[in-house]
Amino acid sequence: MIASFRAENLKSRKRWANWILIGILLAWILLLTYLTLFLVVTLSPKSIQGPVPASLLKRRLFPENFVPTVLGAAGTIGAAIMLIFGALSTASEFGWLTVQTILIQKPTRAAVLLGKFLALAGATLLIGILVFGAAALASFAAVTLDGSSSSWPAWEVMLKGFGALLLQLTIWAAFGAFLGIAFRSTAAAIGGGLTYLFVGEALLGGLLRNTPIVRDVLRFLPGINGDAINAAFPVTIRDSAGQTQLVNAGRGVITLVVYLVVFTVLSLLIFQRRDVGGS
Amino acid sequence: MVLAQTLAVETHGLSKRYSTGVLAVNNLDLRVRAGEVYGFLGPNGAGKTTTLRLLSGLLHPTSGTAVVAGAAPGSPASLARLGAMVETPAFYPYLSGRDNLRVVARYASVPRSRIEPVLKLVDLTDRARHKFKTYSTGMKQRLGVAAALLKAPDLLILDEPTSGLDPQGTIEMRALIKELKQGGRTVLLSSHLLNEVELTCDRVGVIAKGQLVAEGTVDELRARSGGSALLIRATPLDQARRLVESMVKPEQVRLDGDALLLSVDPSQAASINRRLVSDGVDVSELRVSEQSLEAVFLELTETPQK
Repeated sequence: MIASFRAENLKSRKRWANWILIGILLAWILLLTYLTLFLVVTLSPKSIQGPVPASLLKRRLFPENFVPTVLGAAGTIGAAIMLIFGALSTASEFGWLTVQTILIQKPTRAAVLLGKFLALAGATLLIGILVFGAAALASFAAVTLDGSSSSWPAWEVMLKGFGALLLQLTIWAAFGAFLGIAFRSTAAAIGGGLTYLFVGEALLGGLLRNTPIVRDVLRFLPGINGDAINAAFPVTIRDSAGQTQLVNAGRGVITLVVYLVVFTVLSLLIFQRRDVGGS
Repeated sequence: MVLAQTLAVETHGLSKRYSTGVLAVNNLDLRVRAGEVYGFLGPNGAGKTTTLRLLSGLLHPTSGTAVVAGAAPGSPASLARLGAMVETPAFYPYLSGRDNLRVVARYASVPRSRIEPVLKLVDLTDRARHKFKTYSTGMKQRLGVAAALLKAPDLLILDEPTSGLDPQGTIEMRALIKELKQGGRTVLLSSHLLNEVELTCDRVGVIAKGQLVAEGTVDELRARSGGSALLIRATPLDQARRLVESMVKPEQVRLDGDALLLSVDPSQAASINRRLVSDGVDVSELRVSEQSLEAVFLELTETPQK
């Protein structure tokens, strides 16, 4: 497994597509979340329509709200990026037929896949650190430029927040990797995953959230459970009425961990049994 | 390290039926001796690649057993002594040739110091820093061989290694295969090119419709098919064919370009010549011809004769 992990790290590090995905995620958080909101509330505060005045809304970008802001900003886009990241790491091997090159080296199939998942977890940790670090810098810059004062959350909260971010990013990466193995096609894995994420969870989950039967199903979906975890880190200002969470944060964590195990085990089972090549 | 046992590959009743229902390999009993270059010969679709995939552990057999390099196919013990290039050389297009070998070396737990010697062996050192996607077919094939050699394997499986190569590349690859045999290494080479196995292999196994239909040295296979034949060039050829078919069994007569090839005892040459000439056929050439491997191959794989 260590051999596979080392090989995966080399491949992952040298693949430009991975760095582009990370760049998109960081750009989204820094430019669209922090910079855009900061410029709007600073340069054109009258354009803000709503119950919360611009001066107060700005505080969402300050260190006191750092954890809920980064969790919110990295939510859906982070899920999409990690899903693509995971799908690329597995499905590409089938597209390029490199899976057969790998499998005729020394490690067993289980060792190959677990090494791949371990490398994916390592990459997710790096992405989590970059996202958290970039958001912290942006938060610091926002409060410094504004000349206001704001205190950072306690270390314990920061640590829990980082754990929450990491868990969600990992789940979506594992989901993407599982789809890549199941479909053996990059396009099908990414297309299917994003369709589920944006149409299944985000759109239908939002529209039919109050339908009793749908609500019971939604309680088991990874995105809904991720939202429940994020809600455990409230912002100091109330800029919207807020959505009632379908599950509590504790159950959310358990559900996501179960998903991680399920995606890993299913991927292993498929990868172990399936023939490579031929028709 | 040379394989201790006498057989590098041994299969018993090996079969593979795909989910589509196609029986690609049917009850195959194959024995490749340690230290030989074994040619696995067969027409396209005969089951060569499927067999090699089974031996590499990429496919699970429907039935039967196999021992490859002393262990079950696909097991770490077998893979540690096996180097293989099955079908297409598959590498990461965004990585250079050298980095691709680094990836393979890491998977195989082979020291990095092995990379440069194998690059040199396949003559790719100068292009090793370029991305795989920029490689020509010949360079891809050579990188595939380099990757297969990284582990310094006892058994080397090469699937159609000259496929897609130009004549110069083909000659170089054949020379390389002969070189790879040095040191007692076993090479299992699949091909549908008859002259290729004739030039490079110690023994040949002929597969057709998933079954091994013949096995032996090239000379043994020739002998099995009659060994030698009579070649007759005559005008008009149709009349000559009718006449010789009346003298020998029709299935012993075959059209080979603008000549007739007769699988008969060469001592019949004089009587056949007399008959043709007396019936007004001009015989421009009549000689004993060594049965080509191609003829043997066609006969064994039951390809319809023209």
